[in-house]
Amino acid sequence: MYAYDTFDHAMVNARVEEFRDQVARRLSGELTEEEFRPLRLMNGLYLQLHAYMLRVAVPYGTLNSRQMRRLAHIARKYDKGYGHFTTRQNIQYNWPKLVDAPDILAELAEVEMHAIQTSGNCIRNVTTDQFAGAAHDEVADPRATAEIIRQWSTFHPEFSFLPRKFKIAITGAPKDRAAVKWHDIGLVLKKNEAGELGVEVLVGGGMGRTPVIAKTIADFVPESEMLSYLEAILRVYNEQGRRDNKYKARIKILVEDTGTEEFKRLVEEEYEAIRASFIDVPAEEVVRIRQFFAPPPLPVLADEDAGLDALAAADFRFRAWVKNNTFAHKVPGHVSVTISLKPHGGIPGDATDAQMDLVADIAEEYSHDEVRVSHEQNLILPHVAKRDLVAIWQKLDAAGLGSANVGLLTDIIACPGLDYCALANARSIPIAQAITNRFDDLKRLEDIGQLKIKISGCINSCGHHHAGHIGILGVDRKGEENYQLLLGGSGEEDASKAAILGPGFDEHGIVDAVEKVVAAYMGERKEGETFLAAYRRLGPDVFKEAVYGAR
Amino acid sequence: MAKKLSGPQMIVANRLTDGRVLFLTAEGWAVEPTHSIVAHDEDEVTALLAVANADVKANLVLAVEVVSAEVGEGGVRPGHIKTQMQARGPSVRTDLGYQVSPFWEN
Repeated sequence: MYAYDTFDHAMVNARVEEFRDQVARRLSGELTEEEFRPLRLMNGLYLQLHAYMLRVAVPYGTLNSRQMRRLAHIARKYDKGYGHFTTRQNIQYNWPKLVDAPDILAELAEVEMHAIQTSGNCIRNVTTDQFAGAAHDEVADPRATAEIIRQWSTFHPEFSFLPRKFKIAITGAPKDRAAVKWHDIGLVLKKNEAGELGVEVLVGGGMGRTPVIAKTIADFVPESEMLSYLEAILRVYNEQGRRDNKYKARIKILVEDTGTEEFKRLVEEEYEAIRASFIDVPAEEVVRIRQFFAPPPLPVLADEDAGLDALAAADFRFRAWVKNNTFAHKVPGHVSVTISLKPHGGIPGDATDAQMDLVADIAEEYSHDEVRVSHEQNLILPHVAKRDLVAIWQKLDAAGLGSANVGLLTDIIACPGLDYCALANARSIPIAQAITNRFDDLKRLEDIGQLKIKISGCINSCGHHHAGHIGILGVDRKGEENYQLLLGGSGEEDASKAAILGPGFDEHGIVDAVEKVVAAYMGERKEGETFLAAYRRLGPDVFKEAVYGAR
Repeated sequence: MAKKLSGPQMIVANRLTDGRVLFLTAEGWAVEPTHSIVAHDEDEVTALLAVANADVKANLVLAVEVVSAEVGEGGVRPGHIKTQMQARGPSVRTDLGYQVSPFWEN
């Protein structure tokens, strides 16, 4: 993975000391909250309902064991012994004290991490496929491209005060596991007929109160000119995006208002003006950065393993875990393992300090020192030999990390909601807990099959409810929590917006409604048909009748 | 005569050093809402805000808000679910939030 050079270290350390001074001046009263707020936000420090919250960037979701152990240490020393992995592949701490924030950032800097640009109207952490560099189906490892974008966008002087926040996602595989069509810019790595690497560029995706699926404005931009193209998009947005109304300030609104073709023309015009300038990274530097992401030297191994087969035959949970939680690796005899952070009755995305330490230990021993965070709030061991799966499963299961539900109904995305978040209108986590308790039967879950439930506690959509096969949106109805039910969304390459089915429910009613939707699907599905495919074939009426009764 | 409010109100804020939720009482800031001073008209709200904002200036608290209050036999409780959550702590991880130690300091 990428290693900081002396400039990176110097920049991040200088930023920590700058923030230490700012915190001291805030505590002494030299800075008012009005003056301090933008400074703390630039360092990822929010004020939430009960405490400050620190959002730490995990660049494109990649961690090594040392970094994961440091995250555990911070949870233990400065917080309440746990952290929350987010849909942005980051980690959030719910209880840090202002007085400790500079020390936390200093501890992060020691392991080449920071919280810079995890808030504010700037380019945020670039997200990608959690299986990057390992996936059997990828064209190229998207992390090198993501790292180039990270270096370009970090402290970019022109784009530090955009009309609104800006999120870029990139996939290296045609199968989109990074929800690129739901981002301000989505990038799909491709090769042209000459075998050269480039990106398809999509713009104007986003969730929030105006969900929009991104549109392609360039089918192929050579990797060597990608930054010029991105610079052109950001420049058009920075100049023309609305600053008078924060609800209309995201690039999706500009693209909709301008029209995709006209927006594309404006970008191309800017691109022609700046391409071949100094912005793009020299080829030798691209090679240097790619070397940081060289695949680990994995031997080709047998695809069969007697120990694995024996345990799979004897233990249904292990068999289900191998089936659901492993993903085909490009090197035979290997897989990527998804560690589910969705124990039934638990909090989606939460991990304790001890669990983080354990994952770090396992990654060091069995996964070439690498861990990933997925936007679906799970942790991944990208490079695992199949013959080690039994040992890994036993260690994980003993620590409460053995849930075999990846991709199934209980692998729920949920934002922190009103339990923690100052913006939320309703709680998300207890709904996820109630659903996972209601469906606490692995055989039933496997029978139901692939089904993604995504829960947001407010219209800002951190829980991706617009992209849920079943989406749940918490709203405030006359001071009471109320939950809307949406169906038919997708965050993948077949992206679609979920549609509201009908009137909302209280916190108990929404769980019953989900069960009725699932029952209707089970009753109507054809052989091998997933929930999403069935919904797309059937339309909403069958589900409306199941949930609300005949009209 | 001061303009009436739609209902009784109280003051909530966060402590500067750690963000701990605090309610304004006659004895100063408290972590429990029970003894919150309740305003019944706009003049009383203005008076409470003057006290609270003085403590903002003194760098003790931030994020001062006027929120609805309910007055019952057990004392004052917040009217809105958001402030109720602030008073109680998260409804999840009740092994770790305010629920373990309502006077959580450390």
